[in-house]
Amino acid sequence: MSRSDALVDADWVEAHLGDPGIVVVEVDEDTSAYDKGHIRGAVKVDWKKDLQDPVRRDFVDRAGFEKLLSERGISNDDTVILYGGNNNWFAAYAYWYFKLYGHQNVKLLDGGRKKWELDSRELVTEVPARAATNYTATEQDASIRAFRDEVVSAIGSKNLIDVRSPDEFAGRLLAPAHLPQEQAQRGGHVPSARNIPWSKAAEEDGTFKSDDALRDLYAGAGVDFGIDTIAYCRIGERSAHTWFVFHELLDQPNVKNYDGSWTEYGSLVGVPIELGDGS
Amino acid sequence: MSDGCGAPADTPMVTSAGNQAVVQGTVTKDGTPVSPGYARLLNSGGDFVAEVPLGTDGGFQFFAAPGDWTLRVLAPGGIRAERPVSAAIGEISKLEVAV
Repeated sequence: MSRSDALVDADWVEAHLGDPGIVVVEVDEDTSAYDKGHIRGAVKVDWKKDLQDPVRRDFVDRAGFEKLLSERGISNDDTVILYGGNNNWFAAYAYWYFKLYGHQNVKLLDGGRKKWELDSRELVTEVPARAATNYTATEQDASIRAFRDEVVSAIGSKNLIDVRSPDEFAGRLLAPAHLPQEQAQRGGHVPSARNIPWSKAAEEDGTFKSDDALRDLYAGAGVDFGIDTIAYCRIGERSAHTWFVFHELLDQPNVKNYDGSWTEYGSLVGVPIELGDGS
Repeated sequence: MSDGCGAPADTPMVTSAGNQAVVQGTVTKDGTPVSPGYARLLNSGGDFVAEVPLGTDGGFQFFAAPGDWTLRVLAPGGIRAERPVSAAIGEISKLEVAV
């Protein structure tokens, strides 16, 4: 995987809107954004309602993913272009999710919804009608998803990258600064984790920095590219953004997203937690 | 509240800070709300901390840690503006940004 395989820019998307075999998908938590205006022809995926299990904390299962994509009119051989708000957090999460269930032809729109809006590109309210398909997913690819025990055993041995903001890392905040701070779990971070906020990988307009700048960023922050890496945040979507950088843009092998992230780890009994800004 | 990290536009502005350090306000141009657009909160080192899309009324809101921050506005047409703001627990720090 490399940048040209995983990322397309806004000009490319504009030039290929309506092409057979290309499906543009907006992924948001706040789906009112889609309803107010979206890229022409784009279908909507609701990060929570469509991608999360309604009862237990987990994804929709394989059958649920097949049903979702079939209903949206997405075929196994379609090229899916994902974009969304929040600097593509949820689009990156969906990208990881598409890969988890074996969809190969998937790309992110660089800069996502923000760059598209800042460029004053066309947004429409018309919802496309796509014929249903019979989508077939694979079993989850365990090589890109980390669970809690693997995180605990990675302390001090793998790259653990905490991509939350410095105040969340230090334990001063429990959520990003645009959300109320009312979670009950403990604050802090996984011992030996390095705090490299996801935002450092992005330009102000939401596009990704160059490969060279990204390598300099992570190497300068002490990441050893020769060992395995696990990224986490609070609920796994910001770390999907960083997983995308490592695994898809920088072509690093053995990179996992810990989607349980701090809302799970910070609620576990007996695991070590470190406070403060780190070294 | 949202249980994700999303920042829905047009989230109601809190009217009481409670035990939070709230930064809120609106962005206008010639008296008209700026929307679409984005408000970013930067820490004292200039590093990005959080971002929200502006509401249809140009509004934004953050629940920050106490301290000194910089609010940066981005909007189509190359609109950019910055304002310093201090946040304190139990207070709503209000900013009216005319660009």
